[in-house]
Amino acid sequence: MVCAVAAHAQGNYEIQVYGADTVAPRSTMVELHSNFTAEGHPAMDGVAATNHAEHETVEITQGINDWSEVGFYIFTSEQSGLGVEWVGDHIRPRVRVPERWRWPVGVSLSTEVGYQRAIFSPDTWTWEIRPIIDKTTGRWYFAVNPALERTWHGPDVNLGIDFSPAVKISYDFTKQITGGLEYYADYGSITNIASLHNQQQQFFPAIDLNVSPKWEINFGVGVGPTSATDHWIVKGIVGRHFDWGKKKQ
Amino acid sequence: MKPTIQMRPEGNVRDSTASRRAFLRNTSLAAGALMARGPLAWTQTMPGASLPPAEPAVRPNATLEISEIEWELAPKKEIRTTAYNGQIPGPLLRVTEGKPVSIEIVNRLDREEIVHWHGQWIPVPVDGAMEEGSPMIPAGGKTLIRFSPKPAGLHWYHTHAMANHDLKRGLYSGQFGVLHVDPASGDPGRYDQEQFIVLHDWEPYYTASDDGSMMVSYACGSVNGRMLGHGEPIRVREGERVLFQILNASATEAHWLALPGHKFQVLAMDGAPVATQATAETLRLGPAERITALVTMNTPSVWVLGEPRKDFRDAGVGVVIEYAERSGKPQEPGTEKLAWNYRIFGDAMPLARVPDLTIPLVFTSRFKGHGALDEWMINGKSWPHTDSIVLHEGLRHRLVFDNRSTDDHPVHLHRHNFELVSVGGATTSGVHKDVVIVEAGTKVAVDVLATNPGDTLFHCHQQDHMDMGFMALFRYAQVIKA
Repeated sequence: MVCAVAAHAQGNYEIQVYGADTVAPRSTMVELHSNFTAEGHPAMDGVAATNHAEHETVEITQGINDWSEVGFYIFTSEQSGLGVEWVGDHIRPRVRVPERWRWPVGVSLSTEVGYQRAIFSPDTWTWEIRPIIDKTTGRWYFAVNPALERTWHGPDVNLGIDFSPAVKISYDFTKQITGGLEYYADYGSITNIASLHNQQQQFFPAIDLNVSPKWEINFGVGVGPTSATDHWIVKGIVGRHFDWGKKKQ
Repeated sequence: MKPTIQMRPEGNVRDSTASRRAFLRNTSLAAGALMARGPLAWTQTMPGASLPPAEPAVRPNATLEISEIEWELAPKKEIRTTAYNGQIPGPLLRVTEGKPVSIEIVNRLDREEIVHWHGQWIPVPVDGAMEEGSPMIPAGGKTLIRFSPKPAGLHWYHTHAMANHDLKRGLYSGQFGVLHVDPASGDPGRYDQEQFIVLHDWEPYYTASDDGSMMVSYACGSVNGRMLGHGEPIRVREGERVLFQILNASATEAHWLALPGHKFQVLAMDGAPVATQATAETLRLGPAERITALVTMNTPSVWVLGEPRKDFRDAGVGVVIEYAERSGKPQEPGTEKLAWNYRIFGDAMPLARVPDLTIPLVFTSRFKGHGALDEWMINGKSWPHTDSIVLHEGLRHRLVFDNRSTDDHPVHLHRHNFELVSVGGATTSGVHKDVVIVEAGTKVAVDVLATNPGDTLFHCHQQDHMDMGFMALFRYAQVIKA
């Protein structure tokens, strides 16, 4: 997830709390993340504005086996004066504790490396490691992603490791409709936590529609109460599973 | 194998020593005895051994001891479970149709247990279903049951305790074994060797299913208590006719079986001879289903008799078949078509029978959350609130199973069997079973002859479905004599 703490480099390209599950082997997940910043930040210091920016991200994830997957991202941005622009690409391998180990919670570990153009993010090369813990019990679902980020190239290269947690709690109203709250934050360097004013804090009431095992649909509206955060964002995710091999019967 | 189906069994012995008062008295006496002399010596029944007929003094023909054990599925793959007589599967009990047997059951666990004699037309007190009224065996207690085995064929015994959400109990455990009832008329024995194959799945865990609710999956599986490659191979000779007696004792999984290069000639299902002994490349067995099939060994090599689905085979569901003077890496199944149709084993020209009564049974589920098992319902209600179904002695009842859910259901009727009448809208006859898989979104109709009075449990044999309400009680109508 592109989400540097520097206020003017905020990137709302993929807004999603990860679950511990991985894509099944011999299958591929294709997702389109559509995020519109209704009230964001203006262009500043050579970095494009987020205000009224429409970000479209294509995520393609291939399942390797029952405990690993690899994801690939293509980030784009469209906004007045710039048109449609390629922003960058990331690659994201992920491993999980296999379900057959019968742990009481889902656990996986994702790492993401990528490049984004300086006009969209001054930190052009970044790395993230994201532990993922989740639990489904009855109608409730909980997930926490205490992610750590590191800039490899850019002005924040000397800031060390950033702490960017994400949390989700949701409830199954029906088999098809799940509603919940997603929380995204960037507290700044783990050795020098930013002031609340400079932290990114976003809250997304969100809906998941479970219309089919082949489809993933998520929709939410986000509020960013701190000055370092884009204030209003509308996000949507539409994903489709494709099976390539023999289905387990 | 000659047809032995008799829809009107006669002379069932209503003889159980398990009256509550006697039971309590015996239990307390037994407890003292156990403490004094240590572990009981049991009547170990070796595979293939026949049980002698019961003696008047009610000395048991066999003893089943329920206890916790450590079991090695494969080297470095040990599990802790509960089992009968310290072995998995439990001892093969071989009895003769109509000859009374008495079986002592000793419960070494710290919880009550019960043993169900699956497929037997026996009275309620000994059937082994607390919902019908069979008594539970208390923790640390024992009981002696006596019954006349009927009908002949491949049957089994297993715990009928609820697991609820404990994946170490019920049929998730190792409490299962084969009960083979030899026909009173004798076994024609037109085969060279007989092999019992018992499938089971181990180390269960909850996982998300495609339909949005939780389901149970397994880390590994076994044939006769061993994972593929870790048990003794079945040794055969070219030209031999091997009779496979196959039981799926899994708590929830349907299994397929294939033996590459060979075909199965199906002789019986759930112990009952089929009308047409058709051949099949693969066999499908839902939980609790049994198939008796003959295979002519005419393709010498080393093979795996196992799951054609790689995931399940890799998990351990298979056994090596080794021809004499052949060696090498076993050749595995995997290319076989997974196709199964009960009707090919029915009469070529299905007989149209007119039922006395028709009883619709609609199967539906209620969503309880993506992190929960669905609640299951029969005609809109879950056990223990399901409506009782009334049977009238001597009449032919047509049960119409209408599965409106997205899961398959291997439904089982205690103390009776039934004849398939239609499967997925296509008529059939001549296939008698006590478990039938009703596939998702389909209907199956069966005829039951009400010939064994007493409360009779009907349920899905998937342990998680049963635990979540998929049960109903059939009661016989009381006849009021003027």
